[in-house]
Amino acid sequence: MSQFIYQQKQAWVSLKKNPGFVATVLATMGTTLGALLCILTLAYVLIAKPLPYPEQDNLHLVVHHIGDSKGETNASSFTYPGLIHLYKNQTVYDKSALIYYDQDVLTSVDSQPTLNTLYVTPQWFSLLDANIHIGREFEATEALDSNNPVAILTYDTWVNEFAADADILNTKVTFKGVSFNVVGILKQSFIEPALSTTGLKSQVILPWDYNGMNERDRESWGNISSSQKFIGKIASGASLEQISQTLTPLIHDTWREKVAGVEFFNGWKINMEAVPFKKQILGDSTNTVYLLLAGVIGLVLIACANISNLFISRTAEQQRQLSIHAAVGATKGKLFKTIFAETGLLMFFSVVIALMIATVGFFVMQEFLSQRLPRVDELMINWVTLTSAIMISLLFALFFAGLSSRMINYRALNLTLQSSGKGTGIQVSKNIRKFLIISQVAVVTSLVFVNISLFKDSVNTINQDIGFHTDNLMYTTFSSAGATRPERDMRKQLMNEVREKLTALPQVEQVVQASSPLNGFNLWATTVVATNERFTPEAKHIDQNYFNMIGQTLIEGDLFTAADVKDENRVAIVNEAFANRISPTESAIGKQLSFGGNGNTKVIGVVKSVHIPGDTEEEILRAYVPTSLAENSMIIKLKPDAVITREQVVSVLTSVTSQYNIFELESLDAQKSQLLFTQYTTAITSAVLAVITFFLAAIGLYGILSYSTQMRRFEIGTRLAIGAKRSDLIGLIINDNLSSVILGMILSIFVLAGLYLGFSEALADYINLMLLTLFIITISLISLISLFACYWPLRPFINRPAIHSLRGSD
Amino acid sequence: MSEVTANINTKIKMTNISKIFETQELETHALRSIDLEINAGDYVSISGPSGCGKSTLLSILGLLDMPSGGEFYIEGINVTDLSLDEAAEIRNSKIGFIFQSFNLIDELSVFDNVALPLRYSKDKLSDEAIKKRVNECLELVAMSHRVSHKPNQLSGGQQQRIAIARALVANPAILLVDEPTGNLDSKSGDQVMDVLEKLNENGTTICMVTHDPRYADMARTQLKLLDGSILTTPELKAAV
Repeated sequence: MSQFIYQQKQAWVSLKKNPGFVATVLATMGTTLGALLCILTLAYVLIAKPLPYPEQDNLHLVVHHIGDSKGETNASSFTYPGLIHLYKNQTVYDKSALIYYDQDVLTSVDSQPTLNTLYVTPQWFSLLDANIHIGREFEATEALDSNNPVAILTYDTWVNEFAADADILNTKVTFKGVSFNVVGILKQSFIEPALSTTGLKSQVILPWDYNGMNERDRESWGNISSSQKFIGKIASGASLEQISQTLTPLIHDTWREKVAGVEFFNGWKINMEAVPFKKQILGDSTNTVYLLLAGVIGLVLIACANISNLFISRTAEQQRQLSIHAAVGATKGKLFKTIFAETGLLMFFSVVIALMIATVGFFVMQEFLSQRLPRVDELMINWVTLTSAIMISLLFALFFAGLSSRMINYRALNLTLQSSGKGTGIQVSKNIRKFLIISQVAVVTSLVFVNISLFKDSVNTINQDIGFHTDNLMYTTFSSAGATRPERDMRKQLMNEVREKLTALPQVEQVVQASSPLNGFNLWATTVVATNERFTPEAKHIDQNYFNMIGQTLIEGDLFTAADVKDENRVAIVNEAFANRISPTESAIGKQLSFGGNGNTKVIGVVKSVHIPGDTEEEILRAYVPTSLAENSMIIKLKPDAVITREQVVSVLTSVTSQYNIFELESLDAQKSQLLFTQYTTAITSAVLAVITFFLAAIGLYGILSYSTQMRRFEIGTRLAIGAKRSDLIGLIINDNLSSVILGMILSIFVLAGLYLGFSEALADYINLMLLTLFIITISLISLISLFACYWPLRPFINRPAIHSLRGSD
Repeated sequence: MSEVTANINTKIKMTNISKIFETQELETHALRSIDLEINAGDYVSISGPSGCGKSTLLSILGLLDMPSGGEFYIEGINVTDLSLDEAAEIRNSKIGFIFQSFNLIDELSVFDNVALPLRYSKDKLSDEAIKKRVNECLELVAMSHRVSHKPNQLSGGQQQRIAIARALVANPAILLVDEPTGNLDSKSGDQVMDVLEKLNENGTTICMVTHDPRYADMARTQLKLLDGSILTTPELKAAV
């Protein structure tokens, strides 16, 4: 034990003398192992960790595929009566529950937030082990058709919306005009299975009976909705195939009977599929995890190669001390232990840093990737992370120690001691060093180039002119508060009043009745009357001030007038792309369009096309028609630097009517950022990767060149003694390595060309002249770090009197 | 680099040179108040027991290290306080080194090793001029027949003769020789010493550090160093 402590102390003292080396190792290994631990934990959670539900393997989501007469699946959603039929009549699952996903406005609190609501039958709780923090779960009193208005809040909702009020039980929460009695709070530890949308977290649990399906659709065998799901737990060992074969006739036969009179459904079929929870929740994300794992292992390998170089060069530096140890009788094993004490200490600290970085990584994933990756909520430092951390650090410590001690040539130790000038006990062949430089430069040039290109591409998309303003603009949508909407004339009157009152707010400049220019388009089957040509442009209802407010330019013709909107005239404004298709040779103004139904619509204006982030095609056809004054979506233009809160809009709305709630209120800037999420993520990730790769390359090249400079110290001393200046020596080292660096760069061109040939289709969009500039930038950056790596190790020799390099030790 | 008026024959002049090595707790006086003058054509040996400061004195003489105090002139140029690059320039033009361990560069041929100082010279010589000068020097040490060999293909004595040729190639003011025979058998050692003696006879100024009294005796001026000070300099005093 005392030997162990002695060695740790010696290692500590030895490392303290070389803070640059320690910092480099800790930074490199800390970051890369942090990334590795993060992804390993993610892989464990997604691939190996059981779902947090009892008997998770027996839990299924039942999917209702509805296919047309050609045998193609048209949709995978239930009809409402079909779902109820399944729930009441199936015998495969001994426990089952219905689920309905929705969003509703909580009108009983002042801020009137829009919450994610979940409508379930009572067995949902026991199937998912959804335990109660206080109160009770749903019971037989909330079973199907019991119509008992009670509610259970999730722990977060209770904390965030009700300040964790201890007297919450038996208070009321109101949605869509119905008051629900709060009977329970879910435990904080409950994790909702993402059966519908990844990352969606329900906030309030309500009894199934109150779901948002209207009375007519509840009876309709012809309408489907993806909001409603069926889950169940099998008791028997029935296979998925058997379950499908049992459930399909049960639903199909009934459905055929019910839609027998509808010609449209002739020949259509329903097929029932049981999907295990795990498959449903993970989707294809395991592929993503394997990709991430491959990427991060690559990064760790680069880092490991680089740190090996550093250790090689450090052992070269220490050769004299090690020789002395050997001379006084240290065996090979003892020397290994001495070195292992150092590498062990370094890897221990690296892993401590790595664990901290992994924790930050978990937070970042939970914050930004919860919509993209399932189960990220479950990420935390667990036994897998810790075991991996210990194993990895031990493995690397042994590896680096082994590598360093293998370099010591025991037969030549004597030589090291006797002549300070000639012969060294430690040698790495020149060819290996050259190979290391070439491969390092090739890999780094390729990686940095790819990352810079991705970065540039995302930034271009982010900075692309979308063709209208988003600054100071908010959009809002009102939803009806009760189960039924007011009459159309009433709606016109109410919305008009709301618009006027909003406009009167001091911070508001203007309000238009239209949905956000970033979404709210519908596909309309459109025929050009003169040519009978068919198009499906994206269409939107707008009022007369829409284009002026968002700054979308009119190219030709007129905008809508107030009368067009008031009378809902049959006129349309089309974008440039659509105008060119309607009438390629002459003006589109005056052309007649048919949107189906009676009567035609006349084109009166052409506006410039807009580019909404995420538009897949270059030129999307768009048409705009006058909205109705009953439109319940509005865009609010604020005065510069002014803000409007949800509460302010709520108070305007409630002063006019209690029949509407605010469904959403968001700034166009925020909405645009959401649409650009992928680009932002790509930009940030590629920038970070480029910087890390760069950093690793600098360390790698430094390691190799530092070693070779170390090897040449006597030569450098001799050259200095006979009158070489500093610039001569810098030139010498650069010259010696120039060919390897250039070779590496040429190799990277081959690597990139190979990549292009392998993935030419996917990459076609990226190939342009800009890439040449980017490649030159990459090459310049790599040259810069190569120069740094040449100069930096030379520094201690050329910036001190020459005698220091000539002496055997100092 | 200011020039002062001095005897045109004075190659080296040191006044009150000291060298102190400082560590955190300890000051070591490696050299104390050394006065030394070496004139053209002198053959000076410096000897003394291990640790007396021989090597330190030689490194300061060769501008490989800086003194802690005192003044130092080479051919009338004050070299006490030079930058690293200025020192390199002086080393290149005025000093020829011969090391105990030869310090030839293994990757370079004999010819390139000898030519190396000329390549670092301020005055760029033509390839022709370099070739001529290198061959001259190799002839002086009787090694003309080994121009394209690599140093590790030669014996120790041959390597040291190459090193002497390299030291001579830039026509230095003085040759600084550090234990030239330390790594050689006695026969090769004698040969090397013969070469040095002949060079001196032909006018080359030599300053040699050695602990071998036999070789020290070959020098005309013998300095003995003890604990950083010169013990006796009878002939030098006479010269001043």
